Amino acid sequence: MGLLKKYGALYLMMVPVIAYFIVFAYYPLVKGLQTSFQDYKLMGDRPYVGFANYDAVLHDSLFWEAMVNTLVIGGGILLFSFIAPLVIALSLNEVLRTWFKKMAQMILYVPHLLSWVVVGGIWIFMLSPDSGIVNMILVHVFHRAPINFLADSGYARWIMILLSTWKEMGYTCILFLAGIVSINPSLYEAARMDGATRWQQLTYVTLPQLSNTMKVVFLLNTLGILRIFDQVFILRNPTIASKVDVLMMYTFQKGILEIKLGPAAAASFFVLVLTLALTLVVRRMTRFDEV
Amino acid sequence: MRKVWMTMSTVAVASTMLLSGCGTENGTNDAANTNAPAGNNATAGANVPAETPAADMKLRILDANVGGKTPEENTKFQAEIKRLTGIDASIEKPASDYDQKVLTALGSGEKYDLIELSDLGKLATFVDQGVVTDLTDFVTGSKVLSDPKVVPTAEWGQLKDKDGKFVAVFSKFQGGTMPIVRKDWLDKLGLQEPKTLDEYYNVLKAFKEKDPDGNGKNDTYGLSTSDLYDIQGFMSAAGVKAHYVMKDGKRTIPYATEAAVPMYAWFAKLVKEGIMDPNFVTNDTGKMRNLFLSDRVGMVTYWDAWVGMFNNTRKQADPNTKFQAEALEGIPGADGTILMRRGDPDFWIIPANAEHPDAAKKFLEFWHTEPGITLGSLGIENEDYTKEGDAYKLTPTGTEHNMDHGVPFWYNQNVKYPFGKLPGVQEAQDLVTKNATLELSLPGWPDAEKIVKNYALKAMSGQMDPAEAVKKMHEELLGKKLIDE
Repeated sequence: MGLLKKYGALYLMMVPVIAYFIVFAYYPLVKGLQTSFQDYKLMGDRPYVGFANYDAVLHDSLFWEAMVNTLVIGGGILLFSFIAPLVIALSLNEVLRTWFKKMAQMILYVPHLLSWVVVGGIWIFMLSPDSGIVNMILVHVFHRAPINFLADSGYARWIMILLSTWKEMGYTCILFLAGIVSINPSLYEAARMDGATRWQQLTYVTLPQLSNTMKVVFLLNTLGILRIFDQVFILRNPTIASKVDVLMMYTFQKGILEIKLGPAAAASFFVLVLTLALTLVVRRMTRFDEV
Repeated sequence: MRKVWMTMSTVAVASTMLLSGCGTENGTNDAANTNAPAGNNATAGANVPAETPAADMKLRILDANVGGKTPEENTKFQAEIKRLTGIDASIEKPASDYDQKVLTALGSGEKYDLIELSDLGKLATFVDQGVVTDLTDFVTGSKVLSDPKVVPTAEWGQLKDKDGKFVAVFSKFQGGTMPIVRKDWLDKLGLQEPKTLDEYYNVLKAFKEKDPDGNGKNDTYGLSTSDLYDIQGFMSAAGVKAHYVMKDGKRTIPYATEAAVPMYAWFAKLVKEGIMDPNFVTNDTGKMRNLFLSDRVGMVTYWDAWVGMFNNTRKQADPNTKFQAEALEGIPGADGTILMRRGDPDFWIIPANAEHPDAAKKFLEFWHTEPGITLGSLGIENEDYTKEGDAYKLTPTGTEHNMDHGVPFWYNQNVKYPFGKLPGVQEAQDLVTKNATLELSLPGWPDAEKIVKNYALKAMSGQMDPAEAVKKMHEELLGKKLIDE
């Protein structure tokens, strides 16, 4: 009671935040869970059907196809969107000219600001077989026949992975650079006094000191890999759908296009549980609790 | 354990984005099936206010097409409904993601009195899910709607459920799709309108190779589509109809039969020879239209109404343009039959939880009378058009809005087009009336469509041998129990 009196104002300030999460996060979550156990109709009775929706989803070959696509594309994005910005951040850290460093950061960051609708439009145009710059280079420089990248299922997953990496690279790069900046300069001074080369400073000072930032970035990326949707929705077409349709596309098709909300909610909860499992694994593997 | 709970909380919050807001109410409405007396302004003149204003009638409408073109004009549109019918209407017209909005609204128990839809497959699902009010007594008892001159009797079949009950009312007349050709290019190259597959090939090849736009560059294509949207006019040559076709009580998909193989091979030949726009797999319909309007392609496959829109758009940009779009008939099959596609109609439903079904019914009757049709086509008096005696004149705003506020075309034969139809539209609609039929979308079509499109587009673009593509398409459809034979 004494604490309540002492910190009453603070508790009061927390009320809107808690209310926000209850109304906009946990309540829909609980309703979604309820829906996954119902023969859900838009109006009228909605009888409970036990695990029938989960059973239907698990016996749907399209769900498993989407699962494989999600793991392949999500895994690829997780890997590339971790390594690429790390390499660039470390490289930029070695650049001495500030103007170049800032310019490079800005250019790298811009795609993060654009929506997938814009990014998708740009790359559909750039990869076009008749007027896209990529094919123009292939044809005029390498004398190769144009490739319809976005209509060829052999390239589809790679395109999803690389475009996502390209789009988010600048953002993650800034996180890494912020981590690098916060490293105590005396560590570098000590290393230099011990005769460490630039490479040794990088491997023995920068990377170990950056490990906590790397753990946070990796965990944040892990939380997102099963939720890929926008880029697939924008860039997919029927010829590559079987290689790129991810779990969220499956949920979208079941829920919005087929109006089968029970199975859609069940599929969503599979995503939820898988995300939870993946997060726990990553936390354990990276010893995240020591951050 | 504490860590696990903390992790679960984190993931739960993040995962909220995965889930749609499924908060719901069991929406039921005892008044849903009651029938109000028909409105009394069925024969009113174009801009004549309601004879007897509807007392306290409110109406909440969710639609994709009907209303003003801007939020400001939408407000005026609502006021015009009030002036003409006495109904205090509120129109919500989402800028995008209309289907999601409808679903979210219905699922969350929001109460609309009228919802506009344009997908018969979705209508059937909504009927199954208890969303739709039975309008049988209302439609059959309405002097306006039961008049065959207002809506042809045969058309109502589209809006009946499997038990023969009327479950929706038309919003406008919907036409069909077909090949649309640059007639001025045909004339310039001395070519006749193609009738057979070989003639089509020759025309398309000439569009590619003979510099029809006269700019001295090899930068034109013969044909562009937006994936399989809509190649029915060509597939007609092989006698195959898109989507499902019931054959002796069994589900078949003719695009997945051997009969379709020569057509996929024909398209692959066009692609291989550079006659077809290579982006057709990734095109949306907007890109396809832009290619046609910008002299990059000589033929596209699109809606009848767009024949006029194409001509009008170019005419407005350049009054001296020679640009002339013209609709072509599909190619006859071996038995002489031409298969063309009739589009799903645009229609209104009254949701079962509507709070003002009487106002909704009054509005539906008004919508099919001259004042309603004038509002839905020309727009708002003194905003989109002015009227002196019987003569209409479009304002600059009206010209910009292209006489389309949700009803560019209508069924009611008693209501004449004040400015006639845009050039080429009537001829295109005549072809639809003569040859086009609706497509049959059965449950499971979204899954089947993915398979059909995947293999069909691979065959058409030359990534896969057409015979092999059809074989795999058929096997996969059969394996997933999406067809019966």
